[in-house]
Amino acid sequence: MSKPALYISAASTISHQPTFRNAGFSETLGPVEASSALISPDYKAYIDAGLLRRMSKILRMSVACAKDCVEQAGSGQPDAIVVGTGLGCLQDTEKFLNTSLTVEGLLPPTSFIQSTHNTMAGQISLSLGNHGYNMTHTQNTLSFEHALLDAAMLLREGDRNVLVGAADEHIDILNDIAVQLAFEATAPLTSAASFFILSDEHTGNAAAALADLFTSGATDNAQEEIDAFLDRNGLQPGDIDLALYAGKPVSGVARNIDYLPLAGVYPTASAFAMHYAVDVLSENSKVRNVLICNTLRKSNLGLILLQAVEA
Amino acid sequence: MDSLKEDLKKQIIEQLNLEDLTAADIADDALLFNDQGIGLDSIDALELIVLLEKYHGIQLTNPEEGKEAFKSINTMAEYIRKRKAA
Repeated sequence: MSKPALYISAASTISHQPTFRNAGFSETLGPVEASSALISPDYKAYIDAGLLRRMSKILRMSVACAKDCVEQAGSGQPDAIVVGTGLGCLQDTEKFLNTSLTVEGLLPPTSFIQSTHNTMAGQISLSLGNHGYNMTHTQNTLSFEHALLDAAMLLREGDRNVLVGAADEHIDILNDIAVQLAFEATAPLTSAASFFILSDEHTGNAAAALADLFTSGATDNAQEEIDAFLDRNGLQPGDIDLALYAGKPVSGVARNIDYLPLAGVYPTASAFAMHYAVDVLSENSKVRNVLICNTLRKSNLGLILLQAVEA
Repeated sequence: MDSLKEDLKKQIIEQLNLEDLTAADIADDALLFNDQGIGLDSIDALELIVLLEKYHGIQLTNPEEGKEAFKSINTMAEYIRKRKAA
């Protein structure tokens, strides 16, 4: 492996499953039901009431997870905040567009201000009082992987701790246009946010190491790309103890789990898979190598290789 | 009970998502933009301008008028009555 590993020292997810502040959740999850709802913590414990009243679902999830991560890591202010989102702040976008169709004259500003994709990263920054690098990546089903790639590059350039994560929210109209989203999935559409602290060194509290990642927006043969990716990391498919996949299972690995029935379907569900992998690596010492293989859209391939942290 | 003031309180709670407040919690003379009062901020001021147009058909274009009108529920009601009478 050509590059030294990076370390995941905190992880936090709010989803339709009991993932928030629930270590060991990976052992107990069943498929998410179509009738399921987001399992929200008491947001007032994480967000000032004056800010909370304006926040949509995606903002509440993102800020709460981000603050939880910073608290877990105990490393103070992150040097950067990097967020991935496939569809952005849909609730506020829908509200603003509906208002613009029905109201003549002035339009309420809040939903317009908060309808942009980079609102999550901005609100996290305001809530933490963080003045560092602040970036949002939106690359459809590879949004989280691109955010992770950005975070990894920042750490290679000298940052110590980066807060990186992803969020997407469900609104009812997505059910009507699901075909146009072209996702390779049949599980219910859901909302979720997952955030992580990625660090350049293992300070004792790292739960997993991020060994490598890869993205391609024009994949013809995913299995070939996977084999080449593993080869670059000195691994064979048989070395992978667990593959978490969306789309097609990975050939030759010890165990495959489709993460979409667990997370539900949303463009950045691979971030849920990463938290799931971190949880497995923390709880099960027999698992050493986990590959996350995201082909939620057939032509988009995202690969994330996580490894157990040596004691 | 002044129905305009009661309506204003309900409209403000709805427009500004003041989830923890009811109309009864807002005194007629409470300062809207003061932490000892309701604690609104500059984005809320924009929302109040929209509220005036949406519910009362009043366009507020002079910022100085807004400063005075948005002090409290009492001053908002007084401003609406004055503009409608003009």
